[in-house]
Amino acid sequence: MHIIGNLSIYLALALSVYALIIFILGIYKQDQRLVDSGKAATLAVFILTSIAMFLMLILLGTSQFQFEYVASYTSTDLPLVYKLAALWAGNSGSLLLWTFFLTMYTVMVAYSKKLKNNPMVPYISSILLGNTIFFYIILGFVTKPFGLLDFVPQEGRGLNPMLQDPGMILHPVTLYLGYVGFAVPFAFAITALILKTTDAFWLRMTRRWTIIAWCFLTLGNVIGGWWAYLELGWGGYWAWDPVENASFMPWLTATAYLHSVMIQERKGMLKVWNISLIILTYALTIFGTFLVRSGVLTSVHAFGDTNIGSYFLIFLALVVIFSLYVLMSRYHLLKQDNGQFESLLSKESSFLVNNLILVGGTFAVFWGTIFPLVSEAVRGYKVTVGIPFFNAVMSPILLGLIFVMAICPLIAWQRSTVKNLRDNFLVPAIISIVIAGLLVGLGMRAAYPILAYGLISFMLLTHLLEIYRGINARRKVTKEAYPIALYRLMVRNRRRYGGYIIHFGIGLMAIGIVGSAFDQETMQTVPKGETIEIQDYVLTYEYLAQRREGVNDVVFANIHVQKGGKDIGYIQPERLFFANWEEPHTQVAVHSTLREDLYVVLSGWESDERATFVIKVNPLVQWVWIGSYVLVIGSIFAVWPGKYGNITPRYKGPKRKVS
Amino acid sequence: MTKNTKVLLAGSTIIVAILILLIAATPGASGTEIPLAQAVTNPEQYKDRYVNTEGFLVEESIDWRADEIELRFNLVDEDGNTLSVFYDRVRPDNFSEGVIVLLGGYIQSDGVFYAERVQTRCPSSYEGEKPEEGYDPAVHQETQGNNN
Repeated sequence: MHIIGNLSIYLALALSVYALIIFILGIYKQDQRLVDSGKAATLAVFILTSIAMFLMLILLGTSQFQFEYVASYTSTDLPLVYKLAALWAGNSGSLLLWTFFLTMYTVMVAYSKKLKNNPMVPYISSILLGNTIFFYIILGFVTKPFGLLDFVPQEGRGLNPMLQDPGMILHPVTLYLGYVGFAVPFAFAITALILKTTDAFWLRMTRRWTIIAWCFLTLGNVIGGWWAYLELGWGGYWAWDPVENASFMPWLTATAYLHSVMIQERKGMLKVWNISLIILTYALTIFGTFLVRSGVLTSVHAFGDTNIGSYFLIFLALVVIFSLYVLMSRYHLLKQDNGQFESLLSKESSFLVNNLILVGGTFAVFWGTIFPLVSEAVRGYKVTVGIPFFNAVMSPILLGLIFVMAICPLIAWQRSTVKNLRDNFLVPAIISIVIAGLLVGLGMRAAYPILAYGLISFMLLTHLLEIYRGINARRKVTKEAYPIALYRLMVRNRRRYGGYIIHFGIGLMAIGIVGSAFDQETMQTVPKGETIEIQDYVLTYEYLAQRREGVNDVVFANIHVQKGGKDIGYIQPERLFFANWEEPHTQVAVHSTLREDLYVVLSGWESDERATFVIKVNPLVQWVWIGSYVLVIGSIFAVWPGKYGNITPRYKGPKRKVS
Repeated sequence: MTKNTKVLLAGSTIIVAILILLIAATPGASGTEIPLAQAVTNPEQYKDRYVNTEGFLVEESIDWRADEIELRFNLVDEDGNTLSVFYDRVRPDNFSEGVIVLLGGYIQSDGVFYAERVQTRCPSSYEGEKPEEGYDPAVHQETQGNNN
């Protein structure tokens, strides 16, 4: 088996090198046969990667412990789904998955029907192959997935219990799909530069890719947060840890990119900016991988100090230098026929503001993340900035973004007038102020949440108003019923209304993000029968008991919960003791409502069954998850192939003989 | 002034605002990351400063007082320097012999580290050690039982 595995990896490496060379030769000689051979090699690389990956899955699923990787991350008693998920529990397996996605995307582009007879294809494929080669060098020489042990252990080490969670199945896969997805628009951008085309063709072609990649990246982050919230027992979903920041930074730049491309498509402006943003986004995904795997920064999501990080750093440097070289050499072309801003108050400029805030936010996160490294270089010791720093900086940035989001959709292209502003914003503004006033009336005193909720309502309302106007305008002509008008309005402009749905989702998430900052906590050790009170909850600790789940033992506390005198039922925080893992593991009990989460951790117990609990009330956390569902629905709506406005953009770049 | 310049000016304002935000937020939220040995040998030097450090946990030093919710324990480094830590919260997961513990807090004049943050580095999800030769699950089970 290991021969097949290793063979497919080295063969894939050889074939990707061959494909890259033959593509470049084909382009140079303008020989279609060479390019076709390259495409076939690309397909072969993908097939080989699939073989390697499915072989690994079989090995994991059947517990072939003579393989070091299988023995390191699985054991026989592990449920099958986690045996398979162990594919991405370690360095080499996760990089194999990464390579699988990358080669899959490459084939999708190389054999794309929409790109038939398009001279960009060999270039794009070559750039993606350059990336593939890097990953195969790592897989072939640095962390080999199919390494054998010189003995066959009876049992594997098992999968870290923290990773035995549904989050483990979803989080890495979605995150990688997002990360790798940005390689495609990046390759398109560089290709457009190399071919000296400055129109928006590549933007239009990659629009769906980018939205899908962005959606996966968002999901990856949110699922990671959800996992941390339920799994780690810290009571939070985001801690501004370097590893979390690593995947948040490309999200910010990708969000900026999704917006600024619209200005280039419509007005031919911001060409250099857009290309810089997609280069930056792609570079940040590699930088993130470097941070995660190098151990240069102290993170609680621990990753061993392996030398694999330095390879990513070298690769990052190569990518950046190559991209900047291409960008600089075509800079004069991009500067030509660049549009002008026609008014300070226009959609273009408000998009630019949104971009600057997002990129500023990226820089802030970057600054906070690498501050220890910078300070160590400058002053000789590491100075860390913690959660307060990020909260202090990112809260105003979030509010600024919501404000721009509120006004952006209603500002006209080119130029807005005062009347136009009044018509659009007066009603939502008044209602939002009333809502903010109500919050004060309900006893909210802190300025930040009042301001935040005022702004969020303003944003949600301007979006509703915009949709309402659209419906009315449509009904004037068609006399349709409201729901039909709404439906037809939306499907005729999927991108726009998909975007609005996504904004809505972000607004709902913001409700949760702002609210969850006002959590309350108590920690107590109580004997059986005693109660703990937090806010209007009364928790009665009834007993401690033990049950068996497969090979694992579960100790749980039975707690009766009342809220404001009303019976809510029982919750059972647990500690799991694994047969194959030394450390017990906390299983949080959460009672969720839209208003707040009651979050209970069983921390420990004494011999007389006194037990120690950490109990938190986290307001509005559910809205973070609800908002992300809405966001996904919006993304799917935006990319759904409908019959309207779904025209393949026409290529106007230079003609070549090969495609 | 052209429209582009105006937009550029407005844009620069945003950038400057974010930079000011950064510079203003950095000093108040920063802590010094020092090796454990520094915290043990020079506690005065870091008086009243938020300090981050890390070390290996000594399991037998753990003193947990459930009713008060007070946790005392010692960390050591490779050279045998020992730091006493006080923490008025519950123990984190994976709190066992030899695990790497990350601390954030203040060193008091008595040399005790008053931690506001204690985290164990989650056991490496990447790069596990090689399984030991002659691994016997029964032995594992036994040690497991003693731990409970």
